Amino acid sequence: MKLVHAIASALFVTVLLAACGAAGEPGSPAAPPGAQPSSVLVAESFLADITRNVAGERLAVETLIPLGADPHSFEPSPADVRKVADASLMIVNGAGFEAFLEPLLRNAGGERTVIEAAAGLTPRAPQPGEHEEEEADHGHEEGDPHFWLDPNHAIVYVENIRDGLAAADPAGKDTYAANADAYVAQLRELDAWIKAQVQTVPENRRLLVTNHESFGYFADRYGFRVVGAVIPSVSTAASPSAQQLAQLVDEIKATGAPAVFLELGANPQLAAQLAAETGMKVVTGLLTHSTTAADGVAPDYLSMMRYNVTTFVDALRQESS
Amino acid sequence: MTLTGLLRRPKPHQHTAPVVSLDHVTVRYNGGAPALEDVSLVVQRGERIAVVGPNGAGKSTLLKLIAGILAPTSGTAEIYGYGAGGHICIGYVPQRSNVDWAFPVTVADVVMMGRVAKIGLLRQAGRADRELVRQSLEQVGMTSFKDRQIGELSGGQQQRVFIARALAQEAELLLMDEPITGLDVPSQEAIFEILDLLKVQGMTVLVSTHDLQMASDKFDRLMLLKRRLVGLGRPAEVLTPHNLQQAYGSHLTVLPGPEGMLALSDTCCEGESHD
Amino acid sequence: MIEFLLAPLRYEFMVRGLLAAITVGVVCSVLGSYVVLRGMTFFGDALAHAILPGVAVAYLLGGGAQGPLFWGGLVAGIGTALGIGALSKTGQVREDTAIGVIFAGMFALGVALISTVRNFSVDLTHFMFGNVLGVSRGDLVLTVAFGALVLLLVVAFYKEFLVISFDPVLAEILRIPHQVFSYLLLVMLAVTVVIALQTVGVGLMVAMLVTPAATASLLTRRLPLMMAGSAIIGSASAVIGLYLSYYVSIASGAAIVLVCTAFFLLTLVFAPGRGLLARWLA
Repeated sequence: MKLVHAIASALFVTVLLAACGAAGEPGSPAAPPGAQPSSVLVAESFLADITRNVAGERLAVETLIPLGADPHSFEPSPADVRKVADASLMIVNGAGFEAFLEPLLRNAGGERTVIEAAAGLTPRAPQPGEHEEEEADHGHEEGDPHFWLDPNHAIVYVENIRDGLAAADPAGKDTYAANADAYVAQLRELDAWIKAQVQTVPENRRLLVTNHESFGYFADRYGFRVVGAVIPSVSTAASPSAQQLAQLVDEIKATGAPAVFLELGANPQLAAQLAAETGMKVVTGLLTHSTTAADGVAPDYLSMMRYNVTTFVDALRQESS
Repeated sequence: MTLTGLLRRPKPHQHTAPVVSLDHVTVRYNGGAPALEDVSLVVQRGERIAVVGPNGAGKSTLLKLIAGILAPTSGTAEIYGYGAGGHICIGYVPQRSNVDWAFPVTVADVVMMGRVAKIGLLRQAGRADRELVRQSLEQVGMTSFKDRQIGELSGGQQQRVFIARALAQEAELLLMDEPITGLDVPSQEAIFEILDLLKVQGMTVLVSTHDLQMASDKFDRLMLLKRRLVGLGRPAEVLTPHNLQQAYGSHLTVLPGPEGMLALSDTCCEGESHD
Repeated sequence: MIEFLLAPLRYEFMVRGLLAAITVGVVCSVLGSYVVLRGMTFFGDALAHAILPGVAVAYLLGGGAQGPLFWGGLVAGIGTALGIGALSKTGQVREDTAIGVIFAGMFALGVALISTVRNFSVDLTHFMFGNVLGVSRGDLVLTVAFGALVLLLVVAFYKEFLVISFDPVLAEILRIPHQVFSYLLLVMLAVTVVIALQTVGVGLMVAMLVTPAATASLLTRRLPLMMAGSAIIGSASAVIGLYLSYYVSIASGAAIVLVCTAFFLLTLVFAPGRGLLARWLA
């Protein structure tokens, strides 16, 4: 009898706790929507940097995804859910990049304004001869979301962020506009610099092989040919078949692509095999989904882009060893 | 059985010692009620003994104890003067329900398994081993079945294979756990013919069975168990109404019959595994 | 036809992948015979999962390098095998309970370790589903070396493994150290699982261990033939699977397992004497 009592009590307490849990943390956002926000939660670190340039001193900018983590495979922890629950203003990349977003917003409950940085941008079509997505890739049905790797698209980001912040915080409208203009000027400067850098690479060597299809927009803008990606997908969580890999090897040999570029944290195994087979270089450390720490090589968006471009140009300019 | 067990050489038999000598042996499983209690007995070379008793009497336990698979919780058990665990000359024929008949081995494979210890680690079977296997199969009349998978055999044939394995082991003591259960009469006869042959060779044989009638007909010595040793001796001496009552209790009715006592047992025993 | 067969071999990664897959196919299938006969399927699956924390620790300590992953996985695998063996020997829990407890715990440990270090993007898909196309020369050497070692042990101790699998009582009587060989088999299984991980990954590992052996058991009633048969089926599946991956463009690990399963189903239906068709016609 005692045992039955013990079990029943345990069950009761468990159900009680579960009910409390399900009701969720009393989600009191920093300020109810409509009131003047004092902070904004941004999904990715590079996006947070862009936001800081627009928001200036008016808003505290917080980043959700830790530095160096891959947003494609990001899984929010309870602490992350709490951050979102406490935020009344959020900025995300959009265009399907954040696969985790829907359930996260649902779990956090409450209400908030979510600004989509890539709003209004149309996804690219593959270059002629480039590998085509046969069917919708899980998590990225809307096509390639890596708009920010082309600074000209980043300008659109800035505009979307400026407008979004101004709507949430009308008092700061003019500040945002001024900051945005200043930053856009820097972005145009970056664009010009990149063009100049690319000129130093012989045209027949402007060939990109990356670990997954993230540099499409960059390639389109600056005249690179996308030879292929080791993981023929815009998500990092896929694996190539033997046929896809063989096709890539053939493409590389046909075009003479000098190097394969891997993002920071990518699994180098497949790329290493490709390199062994074709004699190309393996270059690691590209920064696409995240900036580095303050004392690293790319603490903000602008330096991140410069770092990547320098990496490309240096590797492609040299004759392969 | 540890690695050191492998390194110990089997000790030579003391041929003056009885084959089996149990002295106040008690066996308990996991601290429960004893399966065997305070059993003392002696078996001499060449004897052919039937071990009888109801379910749960400890027949299987006794055989496993003698085989060296179980250790006594108290008391001592000696085979040829030494602790049972040191001998490889003991042939054990398991209950049919305890064998995996679907295992992909042939008759010859099973008999050859008896040679594994003699062949030794990291060595292969030699001509002498194969010859011994051939002879063993012939002795039990299973030569023509040697390439059959064991699941394809009849009950009697299966028993004979395991006897052959014991012969291949060069066993001097043969323990059989319920070999007759479920066999038809011709198969039973075949087994007994082999046991007769083995008796001539001086093999000591202990057979457990439920069949009191057959036990008293075919064996000159009987061991009646009900956790304790109720009786050991010639059938007429052991199967007294008093002993039977003690062993079988209410499961047995003893009636006077025209040629002596008639014992009727109503324990069901087909296809169960017993301890 | 010849061109069809030779075309993929022009790529080094295909050649290495084929060699690795064939090695794994053979070793898994041979050891798989024991797994099937001794009812160790759950154990094999558990081992495959339990290796994760070893791999995770090796990844974190080795800064993402490939080499340490093998050894980390091996240590975790052998540790788990021995741990499960010891736990079930205490008699306090049944063997499959012991397996369930340890396997889930180890896997969770691995996931926890990986999740705590959030700025490493550990590529778990390759671990789950295999990465046979990414086999380097070093990987291949390790795979073949350890695979050969396992096969050597199977041959050397064939009769001992046979006795402990068929009749543990006899093993006891013949003074064959049942425990030692039992543990040895577990360790060999752990090694096999680790080398096979790269080909098919954790998710599909069980198939490589069990399916070819199960297929072979339908075709023969003799153990040596069963092992040889499953080795042939296992390696054939590996080759056909990779060719499928090449010509039809499906993930290689999954392709191999699908071929194994297809062989099994075909055999189930068409096996002479024991197949469903034969029984239906009889």
